[in-house]
Amino acid sequence: MPDLNVEQQLVIQDIKTKFSWSIIIRYVVAIISAILLFVSGYSGSISGTGIYLILYLFSYNIFANLIVFFKKHFSLLQIVVLGWLFQLLDLVSITFLIYITGWLESPYWFLYLVLIILSGFGVFSYYSISVLIIAFISTCFYLGLLFAAYFKFLPVYGPDFRLTPQELLLSIYNKAVFASIAFFLLAITIYYFSKLLNQQREELTARNLKLTVALEKMKDVDRLKDEFVATASHELRTPLSVIRENVALIKDGITGSVNEKQLQLLISTHANIDRLAGILNNLLDVSKIESHLFNLNRQPCDLCQIAKCSIDFMTINAQKKNITLKLTCPQKSINLIDQEQISRVFINLIDNAIKYSPDNTVINISIEDNPTQSQVSIEDQSNGIASEDLPKLFERFVHIRKDTNAAAEGSGLGLSICKGIIELHGGKIWAESKLGVGNKFIFTLPKIGE
Amino acid sequence: MVNNAKILIIEDDKDMANAIKMRLEANNYEVLVENDGMEGLNRARNEKPDLLILDVMLPKIDGFNICRMLKFDEKYKKLLVIILSAKVQQTDIDRGGEVGADAYMAKPFKSEELLAKIEELLHARH
Repeated sequence: MPDLNVEQQLVIQDIKTKFSWSIIIRYVVAIISAILLFVSGYSGSISGTGIYLILYLFSYNIFANLIVFFKKHFSLLQIVVLGWLFQLLDLVSITFLIYITGWLESPYWFLYLVLIILSGFGVFSYYSISVLIIAFISTCFYLGLLFAAYFKFLPVYGPDFRLTPQELLLSIYNKAVFASIAFFLLAITIYYFSKLLNQQREELTARNLKLTVALEKMKDVDRLKDEFVATASHELRTPLSVIRENVALIKDGITGSVNEKQLQLLISTHANIDRLAGILNNLLDVSKIESHLFNLNRQPCDLCQIAKCSIDFMTINAQKKNITLKLTCPQKSINLIDQEQISRVFINLIDNAIKYSPDNTVINISIEDNPTQSQVSIEDQSNGIASEDLPKLFERFVHIRKDTNAAAEGSGLGLSICKGIIELHGGKIWAESKLGVGNKFIFTLPKIGE
Repeated sequence: MVNNAKILIIEDDKDMANAIKMRLEANNYEVLVENDGMEGLNRARNEKPDLLILDVMLPKIDGFNICRMLKFDEKYKKLLVIILSAKVQQTDIDRGGEVGADAYMAKPFKSEELLAKIEELLHARH
């Protein structure tokens, strides 16, 4: 039902527009006719009739104008009836104009064509039939006039035709055929054209409606998913906290001494709880990034500075394995980025590099600038990753590298979050690897103004 | 650690409250626990602890409101408040700031971090 109303509204608007245009055209025709009548100076009686015609044209046009001006809302029935009423009045006026300006010789029959075009212009498919109806009525009026004048049913205005009745009849037949063909050709062309347009318009509207509905549904589902994830992660936090604290209390000897084996198990338990907590924290982020609800706080920041801070942060971890973190960067690299999120990316990538690098190796972090973007690479000397695994790295929950040290395995979410963050910034992230040599994680960030 | 500092914990989860209490007592703090929000508020006003560890998801009363009622009151605004919460969105953290909390920590928290923050706040005040 809403469909019908929208369509109805559009039809009403269409017809109203047509109506307004016809008012303007009538004013123009009336003025031009007045000028011509005045200038060409027909005989007294014609001038008189001409003036009456023009006055008549003006009056019902003004009436039409007033209606549109004062009544803002029309029902479909009202506007259709009004439209037809004025079109018929137009037909009568045109016919009369043709009559008093020399009927057979009158050039004003082209006004029928104007009326036909206006009738067919922008009308909805159900009503485009009206263009054919108008063409038909125009033909009837015009031919009616010609033959009525010939058979002297009407007093003959206009110039005397120095033609024999036969020649006159032939002339009339020619005019009649020519006019009828013209009217109908035009009408049919407009009819099919408008039908085609309407068809396309309908298809578009239907498709738009479908898309809108689908979009709304998707938004709903998205929102529900986020609410669910938020609630779930929230519900999990408190018991997780309790477990972690309890384990920590026992591990730290606050409840009494623990033996070697107990301590090992407790340390492992605590580490795994930390892992769980990390996954929880990441889960919400991943969900948000995928919903594009993740808000970036983009400020002009120095990428080098961020890199330096991240390296400082990870130095302690690196030192545990005697790994060296080296930074190569230009003096400054200003980009429009979210400092906190890009730091996260740095830390995540460096952390991964440290985890999978053997002891006593070097991790190279380098930043290269060009006018359009900055490129950051983090290169390690780990075992490398098989090339078929490289694209999968950034997917959620994927563990490519099986390490014997359980603590080295992360939640599997870190890289997908990094990908999300980098892509939200308009950049790209990927990995290159040589088995036995090492890995290189590279990401780009577009420069400011992009 | 600041010796004999009195810390009040307002937390409805008894296990959580107990775990924090044990940790704090092991670090020589005097610890009071309330599991109910309103009673916790009253205890805070009566006993005037040095520091309050406040959970925000409390039944019947919103932890943020408790914080605001204490912090915006001349008599009690010296009380240090650490909000401990499972809600970790930026909006929640901002709200913590609005109601005058001295710190906002997310659950699950690291006990070392909590202890460090408590020390930091107590030292800053003395």
